[in-house]
Amino acid sequence: MEITLKVFRYNPEKDAKWHYETYVIEGQPTDRVLDLLEYVKGYIDGTLSFRRSCAHGVCGSDAMRINGRNRLACKALVRDVGTKITVEPLIGLKVIKDLIVDMEPFFDNYKKILPFLINETPPPADGKERYQSPEDRAIFDDTTKCILCACCTTSCPSFWANDDYVGPAAIVNAHRFIFDSRDEAANERLKVLNSMFGVYRCHTIFNCTEACPREIQVTKAIGEVKMAILRGKIK
Amino acid sequence: MARERNVGVFDGFIYRGGGPMLAWLLHRISGIGIVVFVGLHILANAFNGQIGSAINTVFMSWVFQLLVFFCVIFHAINGLRIIILDLWPALLEHQREAIWIEWGFFLPIYAIAAIVIISKGLAG
Repeated sequence: MEITLKVFRYNPEKDAKWHYETYVIEGQPTDRVLDLLEYVKGYIDGTLSFRRSCAHGVCGSDAMRINGRNRLACKALVRDVGTKITVEPLIGLKVIKDLIVDMEPFFDNYKKILPFLINETPPPADGKERYQSPEDRAIFDDTTKCILCACCTTSCPSFWANDDYVGPAAIVNAHRFIFDSRDEAANERLKVLNSMFGVYRCHTIFNCTEACPREIQVTKAIGEVKMAILRGKIK
Repeated sequence: MARERNVGVFDGFIYRGGGPMLAWLLHRISGIGIVVFVGLHILANAFNGQIGSAINTVFMSWVFQLLVFFCVIFHAINGLRIIILDLWPALLEHQREAIWIEWGFFLPIYAIAAIVIISKGLAG
């Protein structure tokens, strides 16, 4: 079948302004948008730039706007997005070249919520693991699935308005540690998220939940963090 | 040099967020509508005479009332949806159903109000 692929192009060394280029190529309904981009790069225009790594929805490198909404190019099939496809970079971050955006502000926000296990208590005397019941693990199971692709954060109008807002991805990862029974720094994280650029910038728009390629209930996680701040306790 | 932050005023309208994003946009627009309505009331009281009467004519016209009722009813029902979801985060998993329920409340209530306003407006 014939596929019309319209791609956002911007080369800072040559272009004063961004523009779109359209490629008409042959493809299959089961082709992924990433396959189409690879075809264009390999056979039509080698200067096309985009990030990709695992190409199986695990690394989160190839997040981009496909037909107006954030998706992973490696998970978006032609049969799902149609034969007229528009591919653009994520909104709210600087475009470095073509579909590549500067992820630094995103990771700066991620670092703010201390995304690592903090536990100052000495390990058990038997040298084995810190015990956690299946019930305690289930509380934050959903938020462990985040691959930091930035689909959620860059679909959020609050982040578009101000990139100081920590964003859904950072809150999801904070949730992962705040509700972890082995972690001891929940209060520090809640303090960060209770600030001016914390959870209260979330206006329950749900773009994040709709955009997440791992189907994480992002807004629910943000809601649970809001309630933890409100109640002043985790459980 | 990288292009500055890839965001503009109209990105909010162009991004395909679906039903919840439409509700968010309408919530903002209806909020502005309510502010305009209240503002006209204050202005009408602040100016006596012909200017006050002219402003009165604007916000008491049936077309304006139709818009105001849309703003007030939508803002109220959407606000209730957000409050309920915020207070009970477990319900956030059912946000898509919540949007349909919201429209299920809004449409008949607004339809009744619109029929009354239009029929009275056309009858003069």
